Amino acid sequence: MNAFSQLQFAKAAEFLIPSLIQGFSVVIQATIFGFLLATILGMVIAIGRLSNIKIIRGFLYVFLELIRGTPLLVQLVYIYYVVPLLFNLIASLFGVKTDVQIASLTAGIFGLGINYGCYMSEVIRASILSVDKGQTEAALVLGFGKYQALFRIVIPQALRSIVPSLGNYLVMMVKDTSLLAYVAVSELLLRTQNFASQTFLTIESYTYLAIAYLVISIPLSHLIKYVEYKLNNK
Amino acid sequence: MFNIFELEKKFGDLEVLKSISMYIEDGEVVCIIGPSGSGKSTFLRCLNLLEVPTNGKMYYNGTILDADLDSKKLRQEVGMVFQKFNLFPMFTVLKNITYAPINIKKMKKEVAEELAMDLLRKVGLADKANVYPSTLSGGQQQRVAIARALAMQPKMLLFDEPTSALDPELVGDVLEVMKQLAKDGMTMVVVTHEMGFARDVADRVVFMDKGYVVEEGKPEKIFNQPENQRTKEFLARVL
Repeated sequence: MNAFSQLQFAKAAEFLIPSLIQGFSVVIQATIFGFLLATILGMVIAIGRLSNIKIIRGFLYVFLELIRGTPLLVQLVYIYYVVPLLFNLIASLFGVKTDVQIASLTAGIFGLGINYGCYMSEVIRASILSVDKGQTEAALVLGFGKYQALFRIVIPQALRSIVPSLGNYLVMMVKDTSLLAYVAVSELLLRTQNFASQTFLTIESYTYLAIAYLVISIPLSHLIKYVEYKLNNK
Repeated sequence: MFNIFELEKKFGDLEVLKSISMYIEDGEVVCIIGPSGSGKSTFLRCLNLLEVPTNGKMYYNGTILDADLDSKKLRQEVGMVFQKFNLFPMFTVLKNITYAPINIKKMKKEVAEELAMDLLRKVGLADKANVYPSTLSGGQQQRVAIARALAMQPKMLLFDEPTSALDPELVGDVLEVMKQLAKDGMTMVVVTHEMGFARDVADRVVFMDKGYVVEEGKPEKIFNQPENQRTKEFLARVL
């Protein structure tokens, strides 16, 4: 008798797949809000680092170094466990007793958003710098102000070149939501871990988990290629 | 229109303009010639404050120009055409021309479009209103850029080597448009290597070298009887 015939894929599917489908909605929420936050933050940091004001540039540089020098997993744990404690500690210095906690999904979204925002800011900044200086000057000599030129003329051109790389970050973020398992977000990995440890269907469970990620990421990356193709052939 | 006294411009330690004094009158066409690196373009860019002079005084219609001045106001009256056209690639030709009048001058869209079509007819490109700049030749792009500058109804136009990036056979069309503008009485300051244009169209030719105005005068005088040795050498090389 074949050893593989002992595997109980059907049984695992019956209980795990409905749970994974629920987990999908958590993954999608975390990705949408995380990516939104990352895009806004990335844009703000990119523009801030192009500003003339030295303090802003310096502050953002240090912030970027801190975020890029530490792993995402550590940042998630830090936001989830340490930040509320620090807040309570500081509040107690002022004689206020607080018991702030942060919901695990919220912590996850902030962690993803801040981490990805920092990496994406570099891509956005490079794309803004890659727009010909003549474009800014053309806007200026027509009577537009510096920021009007940036927002109306330069950034729209920069964003067009940026879509493919931001798309890659989006696919990466979907996969990185698995790290949220460590801050108790019941996404796909945590659900699978729980199921596997209860049923000992280890091979089956994690195989389904891997397939679940593929089901999201492969169509998503094709969608991004399609958008890129459409943009290039416009 | 412009009165300029002892203008200086430094980039770090590099002195590009060393004491330039000049006046530009209403309706005058001034051509600035000279070897590359002589500071012609930098001087032109000081006139609309794309470069802020390091030293010296500039008056525009009696008001002094300095870093505190609202350069946006000045630039609405003093337009500029670049060597590399710098059309906005994501806009159609028509939108390139109407974008500033609508957004800066708050002109009504229909009015701006009518004006744009008039200008496109003037530069001979009325049939290109709805195409994107990338589909146009260099000469056509430069004529659109001139129309775009004119759409702000400026009192004066600065041209920064407007034909230097063009294939030789496309230069003529652009120069023709500029000649017509000069005939219509537009005040123009033109940095150029087109000596023929300077000779035919300019009211005054200014020869610059190494950050100084070396010689200036009527085109006949500069081209036929230059006094300064450097002017003679330069003209001998280019003519």
